[in-house]
Amino acid sequence: MSEKQPAKNGISKRTLLATILILFIIPVTILFGVFVLNDRKYYFISLLIIIYTMIPFVMVFENRKPKARELIVIAVLSAIAVAGRGAFFMLPQFKPVVAIVIITGVCFGAESGFLVGAVTGFVSNFFFGQGPWTPWQMFCFGIIGFIAGILYKKGFLKKTKLSLCVFGGLATFFIYGGIINIASMLIFTSQFSWKALLATYISGFWFDMVHAIATVFFLYTISQPMIEKLERIKIKYGLIETEDEAVSL
Amino acid sequence: MIIDSFSSFHPIVNFTYFSAVLLFSMFFMHPVFLGISLVSAFVYSVMLKGKKAVKFNILYMMPLLLFMAILNPAFNHQGVTILFYLKSGNPITLESILFGVASACMFVTVILWFSCYNAVMTSDKFIYLFGRIIPGLSLILSMVLRFVPRYTAQIKVISNAQKCVGRDVTQGNVIAKARNGIKILSIMTTWALENAIETGDSMRARGYGLPKRTSFSIFRFDNRDKVTFAVMAGLIVIVLIGAVMGENTMRFFPSIKTINTTIFSLVVYTAYFILCMLPVIINIMEEIKWKYIVSRI
Repeated sequence: MSEKQPAKNGISKRTLLATILILFIIPVTILFGVFVLNDRKYYFISLLIIIYTMIPFVMVFENRKPKARELIVIAVLSAIAVAGRGAFFMLPQFKPVVAIVIITGVCFGAESGFLVGAVTGFVSNFFFGQGPWTPWQMFCFGIIGFIAGILYKKGFLKKTKLSLCVFGGLATFFIYGGIINIASMLIFTSQFSWKALLATYISGFWFDMVHAIATVFFLYTISQPMIEKLERIKIKYGLIETEDEAVSL
Repeated sequence: MIIDSFSSFHPIVNFTYFSAVLLFSMFFMHPVFLGISLVSAFVYSVMLKGKKAVKFNILYMMPLLLFMAILNPAFNHQGVTILFYLKSGNPITLESILFGVASACMFVTVILWFSCYNAVMTSDKFIYLFGRIIPGLSLILSMVLRFVPRYTAQIKVISNAQKCVGRDVTQGNVIAKARNGIKILSIMTTWALENAIETGDSMRARGYGLPKRTSFSIFRFDNRDKVTFAVMAGLIVIVLIGAVMGENTMRFFPSIKTINTTIFSLVVYTAYFILCMLPVIINIMEEIKWKYIVSRI
């Protein structure tokens, strides 16, 4: 039972920090943008907000003093996702990253899902080129992994092919596509207008569609063997402790 | 192409420089500031990467700049100086064209600065800087960066083995190719996970996470770094004072308006120019010093 205590504290600390960020710092940033910068720097302000939302995850993770095995599994999964992105470089948008992030979220929990997603976004851009889009990709991949973990814990998402594919397709198209299109509009025009947003969504439709299809395809083909491998490793070495194991301790 | 001596400075100096120029470039829409930043980024990227950068800048950045400059007036119809009307009845204004050009310049400048950042701020410097603030995460980052080349090498080993049985990503039609790719990925995953546990155990055996462990660092904050950092901080303060005084503000809509040029604004321009050109100046100085020492021998 003593194992469970820090996790509980961590969640409440994160909730507290997230509340402060959402209720205080983000509105102040937006107001700063509206009044001091004359409402012209949408990109900069939105970038700040995206970075704020990632802070609680990082802080909770660092405060928990993670074990070597836990660190290395997250590193391995990120490296696989990065290598996967590299392996399919000849097919644009047809990438296994989201699929691997979702599988991680399901197998190792929401937090690991977020970290694998964010780290993958960051590291893969060391190879593909960093740019103003990096924080957005980090956030999109991360949040998809986080949501996958939460939904699995709540029982809405099952480890079956169908359930994962439906979630993967929707998440890639609406969450990743939805956020990345806003980002690319802000990067390109540095100014907000509904027409431009609509045009970005229309021009990005096929890219998002291919990306979503890729995610569904990868989840359909690799989810079961991958989950099996991860579960095997988890049982064999008693990795990142699941809820029931913590209770039994 | 000369050796970039700015890269040999302490990571804090490098990182502060890039954060400052990136933030300033994202903020300042004033044409003089845009021009200074664009020219400096261009010169520095060419200095860092030679001919390749010139080719990249002209082949990709110029069309991008033009495309974005045209894109803005198509969506933005603010401004008082109407040049002509589109078929849809929307006006094309001088202000929106100029705003498009300015924001395109800004975007290209930011991309150019990021390309310099990629060359100078290598991942080991980044990890050195953030290792103390986020130790766990920066360890993950360094491990991922090390794993990726290792896995790529391992993928080649696996893929060569698969090629012998006709199941490589280069064989078969598109579906077979993708399926073979996944098979290779799956084989590698099993190998990687087992390998990872061994690494993790070996890390624990060598005392990872124990207190009072020293960290490996090859960077020293010496006098050269101190002087450069002080100069940089001074220039940043001058530019910031200028920003607060409104020297860099530029109004595009409804009509274009800038602040009159005064002696103070010239000071701010000069400070910004020196700040952006700092690595270039350092490189040239080092080059001169080098030549001078060589000729004396």
